[in-house]
Amino acid sequence: MDVIWGVSANEVAWGGPIAFYLFLAGIAGGAFLTASLTDLFSKKQSPRVIRSGAYIAIVSIMIGLGLLVIDLGRPLSFWKLLLNVNMGSVMSIGVFIVSGFSALSVVYGYILWSTAAAQKRSRITSANTEAAAASVGLSLQGFRKPVAGLGILFSIGTATYTGFLLSAVTTNNFWYTPFLGIKTIPFLPILFLVSATSTGLAATMIGAWNSQDLTVYKKVDMVLIILEIVLISILYTSVKPIFFSGSMAVLFWLGVVGLGLIIPLFVSFYGITKHKNVVLPVCTMVVIGGLSLRYFIVYTGQLF
Amino acid sequence: MAKKYTMIINPAKCIGCQACTVACKFQNNVPEGQYRTKTPANELKGTYPNVSLFFEKEACQMCQKAPCVSVCPTKASYYNEDGVVLVDEDKCVGCMYCMTACPYGARFLNKETGAADKCTFCYELKVSKGEKPACVSTCVGSALMFGDLNDPLSQVSQFLAKHKGEVRKPELGTNPHVYYIYEGVVR
Repeated sequence: MDVIWGVSANEVAWGGPIAFYLFLAGIAGGAFLTASLTDLFSKKQSPRVIRSGAYIAIVSIMIGLGLLVIDLGRPLSFWKLLLNVNMGSVMSIGVFIVSGFSALSVVYGYILWSTAAAQKRSRITSANTEAAAASVGLSLQGFRKPVAGLGILFSIGTATYTGFLLSAVTTNNFWYTPFLGIKTIPFLPILFLVSATSTGLAATMIGAWNSQDLTVYKKVDMVLIILEIVLISILYTSVKPIFFSGSMAVLFWLGVVGLGLIIPLFVSFYGITKHKNVVLPVCTMVVIGGLSLRYFIVYTGQLF
Repeated sequence: MAKKYTMIINPAKCIGCQACTVACKFQNNVPEGQYRTKTPANELKGTYPNVSLFFEKEACQMCQKAPCVSVCPTKASYYNEDGVVLVDEDKCVGCMYCMTACPYGARFLNKETGAADKCTFCYELKVSKGEKPACVSTCVGSALMFGDLNDPLSQVSQFLAKHKGEVRKPELGTNPHVYYIYEGVVR
């Protein structure tokens, strides 16, 4: 039944700033995950990768939170989100997950920064190792791995939360899409976790692009891209075709699928087989693809 | 005893005069360009000379399982003791989560306060004083009814006992307390 007169303009409640925030929270989660997993489990420590991931996490989550606050109808009352809690609301729970993540990423980044600064100082002054160990930076070393470990939980929480935020809207046919028809498993948290890890890893590699050996990271990112192609295909077949029509279709096919997944996968494969350094173009495309995905999901859910 | 405030909308009696739209704006000081209620016209049905058209009042459907209340992170959206869904302006931060959740498009961000806004059944200004909502008392064609469904003698209870009241989007399980009577209109 069409309305011929008096219809309200179909404005979207959540627009660009929210899509960008979901993207940045994903980048932050993925970058932190890359840094902390490298820190905890990699035998040959790659400090450049660890620092790149940790610093990108801080910058992304801070800009993201800034956007979120600015987009509120009453930006100055954002603190009420911390006082009035509704455990039944995904957003209310998310406030605490994201706050915890932000705090941990700042602490982790500070530990890495002060350690690096202390090491540099001790090298310059050519002081002995005991003197360096006594300095402020290295005394924090004991906290580094626990913070990284706890941060892993919070970064996964942040990345999946961005999906749960949308999938919790049960009245939205697109956001509420279940995973393979299983009603209890929402689709978006899985997709957003994979996309967050992929884009966060890509952003971390951009920050450490001239590092010696990124082969492992490149291979992991290829696996994640393939996984994301599978997930996007599942999404495509599990919702009504109307969601992939209209003004957002171009963004989906060119931005999400083409630039974000297919092209970087092939270029990355070419780079690995021909031993060419294609980190910058590949990772840039992956990041743009992740941004396109958030815009596509946020808008498409509200336009139909 | 708690009330169960209900509105019944009877499109067959609506002439589309928008007196409800205007009365609501005056009563509640709704900012320019924004509406708590509106009564749009639906598509023309049939072919000349047998054509018909009807108007359908839109506003908050006062769901008893309201998606807006369950998603609200600060409990600013709530049910009051009489089953009316309201917004505590002081607790609202304007995150617009409720607007993404409402399947009826009934909510908007008030330009002046920055808080979520919608129909309140004129609860504070009229209903709590024993009066009817502004739109109901102004309705030219008596297309709107309002009352307590818990009171078997009320006009709404009596009317719904005899006529088939339908809710919008029943498949979503939101359990609205605004009923539409489609007798006498071509849908």
